[in-house]
Amino acid sequence: MMNDKYEVTIGLEVHCEVKTNTKMFSPSPNNYNETPNENISEVDMGFPGILPIANMEAVKKSIMMAMALNCKLPNYMYFDRKNYYYPDLPKGYQITQATEPVGVNGYINVYVNDEVKKIDIHDIHLEEDTASLDHYETYSLIDYNRSGIPLLETVTEPCIHSADEALAFLDSLRRIFLYTGISEARTDRGQMRCDVNISLAPKNSEKLGTKVEMKNINSFSNVKDAILYEIKRQSEILDEGGTIIMETRRYDDTTCKTYRMREKVEGVDYKYYVEPNIPPYKITDKLINELREKLPMLQFDRIQKYMKDYELSLYDASILTKNIETALYFEEVISKGIDPKMAANWINTRILGHVNKEEISINDCTFTTDDLVELITYINKGTISSKQAKDVFYKCIDENKKPSVVIKENNMEQITNTDEILSVIKEVINENMELALSYDPKKGRTVDFFVGQIMKKTRGKANPKAAMDLIKEELMKLKDKS
Amino acid sequence: MSYLDLSISEMKKAIDEGKVTPTSLAKESFERAHKYQKDINSFVTLTEKNALNQLENLDSVEDNPLKGIPYALKDNFSTKGILSTASSNILKDYVPFFNATSVNKLYSKGAILIGKTVLDELAMGGTGTTGHTGPVKNPWDKSRLIGGSSAGSASSVAAGIVPFSIGSDTGDSIRKPAAYGGIVGYKPTYGLVSRFGLFAFASSLDHVGCFTRNVSDVAYVIDAIKGKDEKDMTSLPDDNIKFSEHLDGNVKGKKLFYLKEIVNRDNYKDSMDEELDEILNNFDEIIDKCKNLGMEVEEVDFDKEILKAIFPTYITISCAEATSNNSNLTGIPFGPRSKGKSIDEVMFNSRTEGFSELIKRRFVLGSYILQKENQEKLFLNAGRIRRIIVEKMTELFKEYDGMILPASGSIAPTFRSETIDKLSDRYLLLENHMAIGNFGGFPSITIPCGFVKNMPIGLSITSGVKKDLDVLNIAYALESTMNYKNQIAGGVNDER
Amino acid sequence: MISKELLKSYANKLMFDMNDDEYETLAKEFDVILKQMDLIGEIEEIKGVKPMTFPFELDDVEYRNDEDTRTVSYLDALSNAKDIKGREVKVPKVVD
Repeated sequence: MMNDKYEVTIGLEVHCEVKTNTKMFSPSPNNYNETPNENISEVDMGFPGILPIANMEAVKKSIMMAMALNCKLPNYMYFDRKNYYYPDLPKGYQITQATEPVGVNGYINVYVNDEVKKIDIHDIHLEEDTASLDHYETYSLIDYNRSGIPLLETVTEPCIHSADEALAFLDSLRRIFLYTGISEARTDRGQMRCDVNISLAPKNSEKLGTKVEMKNINSFSNVKDAILYEIKRQSEILDEGGTIIMETRRYDDTTCKTYRMREKVEGVDYKYYVEPNIPPYKITDKLINELREKLPMLQFDRIQKYMKDYELSLYDASILTKNIETALYFEEVISKGIDPKMAANWINTRILGHVNKEEISINDCTFTTDDLVELITYINKGTISSKQAKDVFYKCIDENKKPSVVIKENNMEQITNTDEILSVIKEVINENMELALSYDPKKGRTVDFFVGQIMKKTRGKANPKAAMDLIKEELMKLKDKS
Repeated sequence: MSYLDLSISEMKKAIDEGKVTPTSLAKESFERAHKYQKDINSFVTLTEKNALNQLENLDSVEDNPLKGIPYALKDNFSTKGILSTASSNILKDYVPFFNATSVNKLYSKGAILIGKTVLDELAMGGTGTTGHTGPVKNPWDKSRLIGGSSAGSASSVAAGIVPFSIGSDTGDSIRKPAAYGGIVGYKPTYGLVSRFGLFAFASSLDHVGCFTRNVSDVAYVIDAIKGKDEKDMTSLPDDNIKFSEHLDGNVKGKKLFYLKEIVNRDNYKDSMDEELDEILNNFDEIIDKCKNLGMEVEEVDFDKEILKAIFPTYITISCAEATSNNSNLTGIPFGPRSKGKSIDEVMFNSRTEGFSELIKRRFVLGSYILQKENQEKLFLNAGRIRRIIVEKMTELFKEYDGMILPASGSIAPTFRSETIDKLSDRYLLLENHMAIGNFGGFPSITIPCGFVKNMPIGLSITSGVKKDLDVLNIAYALESTMNYKNQIAGGVNDER
Repeated sequence: MISKELLKSYANKLMFDMNDDEYETLAKEFDVILKQMDLIGEIEEIKGVKPMTFPFELDDVEYRNDEDTRTVSYLDALSNAKDIKGREVKVPKVVD
């Protein structure tokens, strides 16, 4: 394995669009639109005389995200200009945060396979997205729909050392965006994009190797493939005694290779300075408290809680917490006294199986938490067997009915009533008196036969355990008499 | 005597009494505009068709002091459907699809837009000579400039084409040309008038303001355009005060000061000439006039070295901000687009051909100032000087109701004037102190206060943030002690 | 004095060029202005002062409510563009 020889160091810069009604600095709608230049105003196109008007909701969400990443918050919300010329940047500068980002020096814990890894966050800052360019054979077209959409850029420290760690971080980050509702984080719509900085150095080397940057990778699997490819490419160069060039590379997902875009000029000067049209906004304790209250318990903490308080496995806890809807479903079920392990089993196998197959949210699943509580209670009371419960569940889904209704309609209630079972027992003993009289408690076969007969007569509705207990009792009585 | 020569309130009264109609006022305004255009070059565009449209719909406008009054607008304000060039080739064909907030307000008041006025290219300059359609001349003496950058807005009012005009002021771009043109120029508190739709030069210094021929007209104009604007985060809430209703000229007991270092003759021993001598004499007379009005006037010391740093501070901040603010001018979504094989070539050629040399020099300077290695020494140090000056002034304005100073140490220069020594005390102190008003967003006015060599000179009055009414009242009282109210440039009027 | 080559590289980063004479003028102008800038550096008082970026501090700054949306039609938005195709601004092919 090449990693034995080289220490891989990765830093990620993740851009994620913030979910709001309007854009970061203009009242144009912030929604995905296939029709070019539909969601635009003069502000998004940088016409002379325009001024940015900062969106409070985006500011609030950025503060929430900074909190979720355990970052230090600034006293004021400040914005800066990043100056550069590119056709997708109509103002010739991007409004971003350079001097006082909304969050600095944060971290999150993530599970990499079974182990906890702390990923340090350098900073998170709020900025505006650029327009998008559509490229054709001989020309390009500019669509300003994306221009000005609020964007949160999360920058990690170079503390990631494998593709798996990178993926685990990206997945956790995405889940935080989804948990908090800060972003829909849809990679298929380019709402979440990632720049990867990667360098290789000989193991135990004091210094980091030369950094190679890969820009704008738009899916997690591509991030993984790009990292694996770069590790291979760079190791081979280093193995042969070559040197890595500081450069920007592009990942091509059709060939699964990275290609050189340009040599990275040492430190492009973006001439950052304070955006003079946006007065600083005081981040008050009141606002911080208000937002902290809105922040849900996140996946990592929930996994830990589920393992500690409910004794669930990491695997089960991870599945239950993949999205907040499922976690809340689970928590509601157990809040009604259901055993957590049993609830976890039912949710992770049956319910998520159904939800995933139908590609719906658990919130849209017709089988509600009340239904699951009802169903599990029937099982626990012995009204139905586990095997029957499975049938009841699918019937509930298919026919959109409550478990109680399905059980009643299908006559599935087990006979647990002792008198009822006893009368059946009387019948089967009379019909098989000879065998009954030869009953030997050490041999189980006789009991099995009688239980089978009872089940046959009750068409399977007798509670097997009750039937077994009762037949044993009756047979013993008979034996004692004789 | 024409009704067009009257003040706004007199003109409005004449309209109300049926002595004159808005249409005939506009007609005469256009006639004068055409007649003087060749001589003084106030306008980039005259908006006759638009005015006709406005006049036709005037009945639907609620009655107010500006209804039917003609005005001119600096060409760096966005006007829907009307060419808006900022006097630069890079915008020579730009027709906006939206109005500046102040323009919208004036439309809603029924003020009649006569035309868009010439400025120094992109408002970056103080001479009025760098616009893409040629230099603006001073109506008092056509061999002299009127100053800038709001040159055409100043000359159109000075020449009597319109009773008021709208301008923008980043260093002294309204107040200096007003002083050179013998009219009133006002820059309100930063944020009092929305900047939305004003083409940005240096956003933290840019102000919208106006030119008029008397102080109470300023109040009418500012009343019409001020107020909180949801399109400008830095705009101030409107306290619903109408300045025009509070102008009483009652200034008894007001305390004024002037900065000793700026009017101290000792500082100008080497450069003293008859012009400066007369200007300083005039200032002494003004002090007496203030005292006669019942105001106190005190001399205040201010570190001369800091005052000399005003100009470099201004240049540093304004050029830096301007470089960034004008990065949108690339010929891509608007503006003339030059040919080029690649997108970079297109932007490069459009900018190379679109900007004049002066602008390019300012941009290079601004960009140099913002470079990482220079920011601390240049940009941030300028910000520090700005704070020192503003905090000292703010302290002074707690004690005093206003600061008075000569608007300039000279009369309007001729087009042939030899270049001034930009490191001299006379230049650094006397020609640049009005930028203090921009540094701190202080309300500041210049009013005509005399003549030197047959050319008008101006007095600058400045007060603390949101003390607009103090500035206007002091100016109003002083105006009443002099004979320059409503004056129109002799040069054009005499048709000499 | 600052070299013409350096000034040209600055200008080119701002996406424009000037001619030789103009660079010469600029170099001279830089000389004067940098001397004026030195005036600032010589002032002792500036040490420790926070640079000012707004004319004055605003209390009760309110950011925009994320509610009402407003758009302009693409016809208006593109009315000043010199080359358009369909609903978009057309430019020579952009290559990275």
